[in-house]
Amino acid sequence: MHGDFSSFLEWPHGIARLGVVLCTTLALGIGLVYFVKAMDRLGDTARTNAAQNYDDREFAGGNAVVVANRPLYEARALIPEDETYRVIAGPGVDGATELTAPFIDHYARYFLMPRRPSPDARWVICYGCDQSELGDGFEVFLEDEAGIFVGRLAG
Amino acid sequence: MTVRSLLGLAALNLFALAVGAGLLWGLRGWRSWWELARLAGLAYMLGIAGLGVALTLVLVAGIPFSLATILLTGMALAGAGAAVAHRLGRPRPVLGTGPRRVGLAGAALAVLVVVYLEALFRAARLSGLYAFDAWSFWVPKAKAIYFFGGLDEQFFSELPNATYPPLVPTLEASAFHFMGSPDVVTLHVQFWFFLAGFVAAVAGLLATRVPPVLLWTFALLALVSPRVVGRTLEPQADFTLDYLFALAALLVVLWLLERRPWQLAGATLFLGAVMLTKREGQLLAACVVAAALVASWRDWRTAWPRLGLASACALALALPWRAWYVSHDLTGEFPSSGGTGLLENLDRAWPSFQSVLTSAFSTDLWTVVLPLVIVAVVLAFIGGARVLPVYAMLVYAFALAGFTWGIWSFVELEVPIERDEAINPVVRLSASLIVLSAALVPLLLDAAWRGADPPRRPEAG
Repeated sequence: MHGDFSSFLEWPHGIARLGVVLCTTLALGIGLVYFVKAMDRLGDTARTNAAQNYDDREFAGGNAVVVANRPLYEARALIPEDETYRVIAGPGVDGATELTAPFIDHYARYFLMPRRPSPDARWVICYGCDQSELGDGFEVFLEDEAGIFVGRLAG
Repeated sequence: MTVRSLLGLAALNLFALAVGAGLLWGLRGWRSWWELARLAGLAYMLGIAGLGVALTLVLVAGIPFSLATILLTGMALAGAGAAVAHRLGRPRPVLGTGPRRVGLAGAALAVLVVVYLEALFRAARLSGLYAFDAWSFWVPKAKAIYFFGGLDEQFFSELPNATYPPLVPTLEASAFHFMGSPDVVTLHVQFWFFLAGFVAAVAGLLATRVPPVLLWTFALLALVSPRVVGRTLEPQADFTLDYLFALAALLVVLWLLERRPWQLAGATLFLGAVMLTKREGQLLAACVVAAALVASWRDWRTAWPRLGLASACALALALPWRAWYVSHDLTGEFPSSGGTGLLENLDRAWPSFQSVLTSAFSTDLWTVVLPLVIVAVVLAFIGGARVLPVYAMLVYAFALAGFTWGIWSFVELEVPIERDEAINPVVRLSASLIVLSAALVPLLLDAAWRGADPPRRPEAG
């Protein structure tokens, strides 16, 4: 045994082998500690995901943007798949986050596909915008208490 | 979120495995069914890379993208592999002898990896789409391919990062077709398949080459890194790129050590896929090729022409996508500082390098993976190996230098980058080196132990 251990101090192969043993032992120890942490974390994630309702799971990252789920659900139900829409964002949304105005059009594009966004679309999703700018021909199909409207321009 | 979606994904991934098995039979062949079982992970990842590349070319060619297109493309790939195998006279496989015994420690570590993967699957199963980039452009691109049957001009020009290559959206669109709907929740499970396939591929390639304890210890260490645990399931291209890159780099180093033609052929397909997955894939592919060129300088007469041919083939696979976006006047692929902009922004060099090192060596993100890579390279040198540690050292060094160049040249990025890891671009880049470590460190330490470059039981065939 003494010979075996002392061989680990011989230069260069013994030292290299000693290094392999130490390196693997360290990796194994740290790997096991982080394995336990990873299992805890993944278990928590799985439980959180399972506890969510269908809407939360479907909106997921969008929950930080959309303020309310209903307007986009309604938009998806109202706007035919082969028609276009536009999102007009303004400052008048109650409960808006710092992500709402800059990213609501991004999120709507993701959520409403295959409907295409278009700057001159008749369907309008008004996120706190000034409705008067849309004119008299704007027919509102959904008015949300947060200040979000889904509607269609005449003609 | 339905059982139908899960079954659809299972069918897609079995299909990818079958396609990859066909490709592997053509590239390498196998002597026994046990050997195929060992290499099933590699076959699967070859299938994913082959399908991803071929379907991207199909899209660029303007061929309508549908379930039939996916099936026909896959069958054509598998058929091509079988035809090559027939042409080369590959023998029919026999049952063969079972796998060699794995020691208790190695088996226990392998079980831990399996338990980890099971936990990851449960986390993936009902995960909402939270990652910003995923819902901002990766998944919308996939939805556009799924709904409109091609590279829809409006969405592919209006979505952010229009020039990003479409391999991952193409695979996601394939998943939607197999699931029967654009189920973005179950889509996370597809990324679990990618990770599981990568782990199986590395295990299959290294099982005969390194002791199981080395193999599974470093696989486990890379897998349980906090960033890998938290982000590997996100339906975007970052980790998929890392798996493809690591497999390309592993096959190249095996080719440097063993010179089996199939290893370089397989690496070529992975390098092509790497360049079609993200734009930094070009940088990573260049790092692998440059490191291989330097590591093979002693026999450059035989090695360099083959490496040159492999690089040219990989580049040829990636070029049509570049031609497509250039022809559609899309920009944003290259740094905003332009060709001479680096010199005008010399003050960015050091903070860029600092940002890269801070991210790559962050113990909060990657535990101690990269420090152990350095130790493993040094030990391999001390032990007497040369080709392997030179190659490994250069891949990591070139990649770190390349990442520094990337941060330095994209002048819109404020340096040093101190953003949260969720939106820090350097952290995404660093992941490729961590994933690569799971494949290279066991080889390095085995070489250090034995005091020689070639693995103990080089691959036949």
